[in-house]
Amino acid sequence: MPRRMSLFLLVCIWTGTLYAQDLSGIQIHGFVTQGFLFSSHNNYLTMQSTSGSLQWTDGAASFSDPLTNNLRVGIQLHMYQLGELGGPNVQVDWASGDYKVNDYFGFRAGKVKTALGLFNDSQDVDAIFLWILLPQSVYPADNKSFLLAHLGGEVYGELPLGDRGGKLLYRGFAGESILDSNGGYVQQLAEDGLTFATPPQGKTYGGDLRWQAPLRGLTVGASAVVQALSGTASVGTLQIPSLLVTSPYAQFERGKFYVAGEYRRTPANAVLAIGPEVIPLPEDQRSWFVMGSYRITERFQAGSYYSHYVNKALDTALPANYSKDWVVSGRYDFNSYFYGKIEGHFLHGTGLGYYESTNPNGLRPNSNMLAAKIGFTF
Amino acid sequence: MSKTRCLILLLGFMSGWSAARAQDVVLVANKGVQISAISPADLRAIFLGAKTRFADGFHALPVVLRGGPAQEVFLKNYLGESPQEFRLRWQKAVFTGQGAMPKTCDSEAALIEYVAATPGAIGYVSRISPQDNVKTLVPYK
Repeated sequence: MPRRMSLFLLVCIWTGTLYAQDLSGIQIHGFVTQGFLFSSHNNYLTMQSTSGSLQWTDGAASFSDPLTNNLRVGIQLHMYQLGELGGPNVQVDWASGDYKVNDYFGFRAGKVKTALGLFNDSQDVDAIFLWILLPQSVYPADNKSFLLAHLGGEVYGELPLGDRGGKLLYRGFAGESILDSNGGYVQQLAEDGLTFATPPQGKTYGGDLRWQAPLRGLTVGASAVVQALSGTASVGTLQIPSLLVTSPYAQFERGKFYVAGEYRRTPANAVLAIGPEVIPLPEDQRSWFVMGSYRITERFQAGSYYSHYVNKALDTALPANYSKDWVVSGRYDFNSYFYGKIEGHFLHGTGLGYYESTNPNGLRPNSNMLAAKIGFTF
Repeated sequence: MSKTRCLILLLGFMSGWSAARAQDVVLVANKGVQISAISPADLRAIFLGAKTRFADGFHALPVVLRGGPAQEVFLKNYLGESPQEFRLRWQKAVFTGQGAMPKTCDSEAALIEYVAATPGAIGYVSRISPQDNVKTLVPYK
């Protein structure tokens, strides 16, 4: 860990000489973050957070080349360590060819980020957010890979609705998505006794439609994704028939103010088969959040959100089936490349983010948390 | 006049000059660009990556300065954004694979040179910068 921190600090010190590189049209960008989490009770997100944990590192490098006015190719490599999740292995975050026919229509093919709600495709880009943890009810950090990207393609574009109508932005996609073999779902399945040689995967398709209203800064939209998942382990199987995830949302940004809200429903009928035993895992996840922030100075921004999750398919009075999180956050940009964040969480319920492996003695229903993060981006 | 007073006057003059300089930017484009005026909506859309063509259908290539007063004035007056907001918006596009940052120049001279040599390029400089070999665009309502 000290070696990792030294490397991170060394990178930060170079901010005076490092710029995003542009080598004859090839753009190179990247970011590195280091987080810290302390919780009053329960170990969160597989970290030993009750003792204070630094096991939270994230980094990515992006390469992009506009081959012609209409065609651009690129790839982004990503590495993360979140407690026991992730690891030193580098993953392809996205890799695509992007052909923009005109301003109304374009398409991408390869591994592309999945359009779902306000932040799904950007949730692992820490540098663009005030928050250290996005609302976990809708964007769980330990399971973000499930819907983050897919192998396939998407069409995108915008339709102007006239001077008084604003414009419509659309994205439609289809492909195959694969669970992160080092992510939270695979970890939970391993705790249930299913270890996969190849991670579960399944077909996915869906779309996103958002209206940029003539009132500048106002966006209203909705996404829908159909996703199936199946996998075979040595002692059993996981089957999730096609499920429909729906997500309406709205955001408004004007000057220093930002407010947003999103609702997501995920009904699933997963079935685990372990030997002769068949275990149904009914889910009807209802999640939503509201958030607001204000830029107090050019360098300092503060905000708060409330995140709500409940599994309606089970007894909603049990802490294991809900999660309610009040959050306050602050972010300070030291310069264009280097920033720091701090965040307080007041968490009720244990429905999200907790694992048996790091909480062998059970869970307390409530926990407060302090998170801090420093990041470097270019 | 004491040295201190001279220094204060000099600093005052420099800051006033800098402020006056920062009040105004000129839109510049490659001479091959057919249009001579551009709407604020088109300008905003081009520099925020929502549009890739001018009103006449010619491919548009936005060019920005890395920093400085002209950059701040342009972002504030024409795009309605702070440098921080502008940077975050583009970082989101870059790191999600949905766009590439506009070409960034370290100085106004470098920007003029790039715009002059690149078909479809559009940028901005302070009014006092020489604008040889490029055409100026007039913003209209």
